[in-house]
Amino acid sequence: MENQPSRLTAIALAFMAVIWVSPFSWLVLNAFNPLSTGQLEIPKAFGFDNFGLAVSGNAGRQFLNSIIIAAGTATLSVIVGISAAYPLSRLRIPGRNAFLWTLVLLRMLPSAGVLVPLYFAAQRSGLLNQLGVIVALTILNLPFTLLLLKNFFDTVPIELEEAAYVEGASLIQIVTKIVLPMSRAGIAVVWFFSFTGAWNEFLLPLIFARVQDAFPMSVGLYAAFGQQGAINYGFLTAFSILYAAPAIGVYFLLRRNMNTGFAGVGVKG
Amino acid sequence: MKNQANPWLTGNLFVLALGMLPAILLIGALLYFTAWAFAFSFTDLALVGKKSVEWSWVGFENFERLFTRRGFLESLWTTVIFVFFSAIVGQSVLGFLLAATLRGTQSSIRGVVEVCIMLGWLLPDIVAAFLWSATTSQTGLINQLFVVPFGFKPINFINDYALPIVTIANVWKGTAWSYLLFSAALDSVSREVVEAAKVDGATPFQRVWLVQLPIIRPHIATNMLFITIWTFTYFPLIFAMTGGGPGRQTETLAVFLYNQSFSRGNLGFGSAISVAMLLIVGVLSLFYLRMLREPK
Repeated sequence: MENQPSRLTAIALAFMAVIWVSPFSWLVLNAFNPLSTGQLEIPKAFGFDNFGLAVSGNAGRQFLNSIIIAAGTATLSVIVGISAAYPLSRLRIPGRNAFLWTLVLLRMLPSAGVLVPLYFAAQRSGLLNQLGVIVALTILNLPFTLLLLKNFFDTVPIELEEAAYVEGASLIQIVTKIVLPMSRAGIAVVWFFSFTGAWNEFLLPLIFARVQDAFPMSVGLYAAFGQQGAINYGFLTAFSILYAAPAIGVYFLLRRNMNTGFAGVGVKG
Repeated sequence: MKNQANPWLTGNLFVLALGMLPAILLIGALLYFTAWAFAFSFTDLALVGKKSVEWSWVGFENFERLFTRRGFLESLWTTVIFVFFSAIVGQSVLGFLLAATLRGTQSSIRGVVEVCIMLGWLLPDIVAAFLWSATTSQTGLINQLFVVPFGFKPINFINDYALPIVTIANVWKGTAWSYLLFSAALDSVSREVVEAAKVDGATPFQRVWLVQLPIIRPHIATNMLFITIWTFTYFPLIFAMTGGGPGRQTETLAVFLYNQSFSRGNLGFGSAISVAMLLIVGVLSLFYLRMLREPK
């Protein structure tokens, strides 16, 4: 429909792409350079020594912690979200609109604002650990998850469910065989958002996990590059790449679903 | 509305209610914590020391301090500048331009540019902060490519131009979201409408400005709503890059809130800041939601 792109457009786009990825040059050059000094230079040596450091000992443990927190939060949010979003989408529950508006407002709540009460509650119930981080992140994440999932379920035609009921399907069968497969794209998007959100999360684990063994990678990285003095740039850059990889990987796995999911995001906030 | 007479639903009300229970409990907890934050804003609660146990009610004192002491208003101004330039000017405009340009190009170019932009968005905040600190450092990429070769002394960007640098870093990081949303929105504009405008002699600029933009207006409002709020309360990137400094140049409200609550330990005052942020965010979202509804 548009005209063929002019050469100028193509050059401008290429220029932009180069600018966009250029900051990565430093990261990659240092990560694969065993003699890295943190300077931007062409490495004289090449090797994977830094990555070896970045998966062993404390660093490996932090990787595991991050996986537990992110996958746990995403899965818990999606399960809790689905089991509530389906009734919300299908039933005319009194006060439903008020509840949905509450969710919209809660979604906009700056999470830093409830950090202090969250901390006190976790301390009192002995949840200043991984599980506590997962539950806290799920609580913060749930309004968004619920709204999105409800929107996706709204787009599943109820006639299909009627047909299945007539054929003798039970509620569980209707949900697992029809509703969930038909909103697969939406669920994948929600899971992805929750996963990356929890994977990136920095402030909450920083406050909840006081011992180094419990640090996820975000806190570990911040603590390491905040140190004055001898910074091992080779290790840190390799660690950064490993930290960034899963979030990027999950996106490319779900990429096809993402685009269909995004169209749904825009329809109704 | 979906009718109440769906037997597989009405026959299983108990199961459905049971399914909703965990979500209701967790949402209830969130409401409870929010109420608690409001309550804290009227106290002199502290993180450590005597006042962490024997706090007392102080009325509106914390809110008075917001306006009478230095800090809050400056932070608010910093935040407004940061949000305006990085979210509205940077991410939205750039995202839209990219979406509009890339629609017409071959899928291979589109794919490459898309992946490049997505990398920034997918990168964890702390890594992005690390990366941009390195890129703008005295031995970093910008100095080595654009400053030193021309005979200038290396510039310490993060010290001298802190706010512009974090703004650029945030544009770099966040544009992908706006791009994806606008891209999906433009896909939903039917070809016929645009073709008809073309036949009627509309220039490419007119086709975008007078045809496509009005159609995707709800998407624009949604996008603005999300990114304004995100940027307004965005914390890790700025905090990890500058910690609010040098001085207070990059102390946005989120950083100010953290510094007051957890570095200084004034939880009461910190809660007042978060209540103020909440009110500002509320007003903003009402404004955007009106924009979303208007065409109907």
